[in-house]
Amino acid sequence: MANKADVNLTGVKQSKGVWLVKVPKYLSLQWDKATEKREVGKITIGKKQGKTDVCFSLNEDLTTLCTAGDKDASLQVPREHPFTMHTEGGQTMAIFSQSDTDGISLEGMVVHRAECRPVVNDDYMRLKKLQLKESTKPQRLSQQLEKAVTTIFKPVANHDFNLEHEKKKKSDGKMVRAERQIVLDMLFSAFEKHQYYNIKDLVDITKQPVTYLKEIVREIGVYNSKGAHKSTWELKPEYRHYQSAEEEEEMQTT
Amino acid sequence: MTSLGSSSSSATEYTVRVPKNTSKKYNLMAFNAGDKVNCSTWTQARMERDMSGRRIYGDEETADGAAGSEFGKKQREEARRKKFGIVKREFKVEDQPWILKVNGKAGKRFKGLKKGGVTENASYYIFTQCPDGAFEAFPVHGWYNFTPQAKHRTLTAEEAEEEWGRRNKVVNHFSIMLQRRFREQERGGDDDDDENEKSGKKKKKGGGRGGDLRIHDLEEDLEMSSDDSDSSLGDDGESKTKSKKDTGKGKAKKKKKRKSSDKEALEDSDDGDYEGLEVDYMSDESSSSDEEPEKGKISKGEDHPKGIDEASESEEESEEEKPNEEEAKEEEEEEEGKKTPVQTEKKKKKDSSGESESSDDSDIDGETASALFMKKRTPPKRGGRGSAGSSRTGSRPGTPSIDSASTSNTLRAAASKLEQGKRPTPGPSADSPAAKRLKMEPSSQSPAPSGKSTPQPPSGKSTPSSSDVQLTEEAVRRYLIRKPMTTKDLLKKFQTKRTGLSSEQTVNVLAQILKRLNPERKNVNDKMHFYLTE
Repeated sequence: MANKADVNLTGVKQSKGVWLVKVPKYLSLQWDKATEKREVGKITIGKKQGKTDVCFSLNEDLTTLCTAGDKDASLQVPREHPFTMHTEGGQTMAIFSQSDTDGISLEGMVVHRAECRPVVNDDYMRLKKLQLKESTKPQRLSQQLEKAVTTIFKPVANHDFNLEHEKKKKSDGKMVRAERQIVLDMLFSAFEKHQYYNIKDLVDITKQPVTYLKEIVREIGVYNSKGAHKSTWELKPEYRHYQSAEEEEEMQTT
Repeated sequence: MTSLGSSSSSATEYTVRVPKNTSKKYNLMAFNAGDKVNCSTWTQARMERDMSGRRIYGDEETADGAAGSEFGKKQREEARRKKFGIVKREFKVEDQPWILKVNGKAGKRFKGLKKGGVTENASYYIFTQCPDGAFEAFPVHGWYNFTPQAKHRTLTAEEAEEEWGRRNKVVNHFSIMLQRRFREQERGGDDDDDENEKSGKKKKKGGGRGGDLRIHDLEEDLEMSSDDSDSSLGDDGESKTKSKKDTGKGKAKKKKKRKSSDKEALEDSDDGDYEGLEVDYMSDESSSSDEEPEKGKISKGEDHPKGIDEASESEEESEEEKPNEEEAKEEEEEEEGKKTPVQTEKKKKKDSSGESESSDDSDIDGETASALFMKKRTPPKRGGRGSAGSSRTGSRPGTPSIDSASTSNTLRAAASKLEQGKRPTPGPSADSPAAKRLKMEPSSQSPAPSGKSTPQPPSGKSTPSSSDVQLTEEAVRRYLIRKPMTTKDLLKKFQTKRTGLSSEQTVNVLAQILKRLNPERKNVNDKMHFYLTE
């Protein structure tokens, strides 16, 4: 949506400070599975020997990993995640939100950056191993088949499509030469729509035999053997009165 | 929210919520610290997507159903693309950059480019603290790096390269942008006010500094034309820039002129043509200058049968290179109206090569002539060169030697004419040059083209066929009248190559002549000079 929106600057005005936290993928996946209440865990902010210590602990119910393949209930996502915090120095960062209804608004400024790190334990190692295995699997796999597949293509005397086509041709019959004037009218109306036509297309449109049609077209049109519109027919200059697209548009609007 | 107090550290617990609200998408706006962006100072901001990429990636919308369209073009194009496997990249609005305008039109502008690969391996969340103390985490949808956009005018790549080439010459760098601005204004500036403002500001700066150092490449009159001016400084700046513009234009013009004249000059006087010439020592300039106008007069006098065909004139002037060059040049130029360059070219030729030939109206050896002819033989394309030309071209293809002879004869003829210009000998001068040439052909075929017999008529009267390089009393007398010369000089004048005499013979003959003439002597620079007074 290319809307030119006034940015709602209320968030910044209030100097709302936010944290930008980098969270591992598995954790965010778990968070998506949160309950209705949307509580995922707890953050503990403490002061340990002068330094602020932040730690996030995941809720119990979200620790089980449900994978599509092996349902290993023993696989647990680690619970404790200390945050490594640093203040934002190099980049001034702000958060802006884009919403369908309210437009763009500036939510706040980033004051701290944090990385959510899991506590490294065996559980975590197992988890990582699993992840690695999955990622190293190739996306496409060649598989050897024991038996040949016979269900899809069977040799056929004549394909259905072809049969239909022939029937259609028979039923429609050969193209009949219509009156010259009628054909000319058809041609003119066709050339009103487009400037360049292939002879095959003209045959399609007019349903006339090719030789007859060619005669008629040769009267009123000219063949382009070279140039941008190669091997196409167009009307002779005296028959043409094309206007540019803009003029046509104008004419249409008036 | 639960708050626990522990003994060693004071820790507070906060719950973290991840709202499922999907209507709001959170993005990150990152600025560079060096830009010193303070969002709280912003009074107003507008943001929109930069859709300029659409026309690059979007389909070319051709006129549908109007003139120039083909039946079934779209389908054919699509089929073609599929056949070749061309996959077009979609134009995703989501990935387009943002344009952020802060504080209205006069404020800053930023362009925000999306940073790729942010959400691939790790997710970013924004933790905000709610009034109730709990944290809410929102996932970051996209990361945009915002950079400030330059509002001042910048040079394009070509202009920058130009200026780079001139960097050593141009001292006043402020003028570069001023000039550009004025050029833009000329082309039809819409926002004149803006430009004038800016240019006005710049002028004040530049005008002050630039006024002292106005070092131009070209020395041109800087006529200060004060048509429209805002202030006196503005006036100066404007006029200066105008003059600079003029200098620029003038430079271009001059360059063009120079180029054209250079071109002309190059075409006219191909340097290679002078290679084979025997250049006479340039000591005797007075004589050459005298000779030239005489020759010129005579050449003009003789042109009546051929009309005003300068090519024929040049032939009469008896310089082999000229006709060849004329032909070559005319073929090159292919302009009949270019007489003046022909004139200049001829004059140039005269100047440089004339020394060799016209100083004494000397004749070039038949051998050298033929050699030169062979070198510069151009196929006789042009028929419209006048009767003289045709006659020459007729004879040209098969018979170089005869041609050379004829030209040498014409040389001799012209030379002799000059000589006889003082003495009323009717003979050759009355004839038409063509006839003369033909006459000369048989007559001078006997004196072999390579060498000339040395008629040393003691009378001092040279025959019509004698060349000017002949060591005659008349020639010596002429020299000595003009200017005092030493024997050495005189010997130089009568070079053995020209006269066909050996050095011994030359000396002897010269001695004889001097005895006869009995010139007066005078000592100049410890050297004995001879001279005559008439």
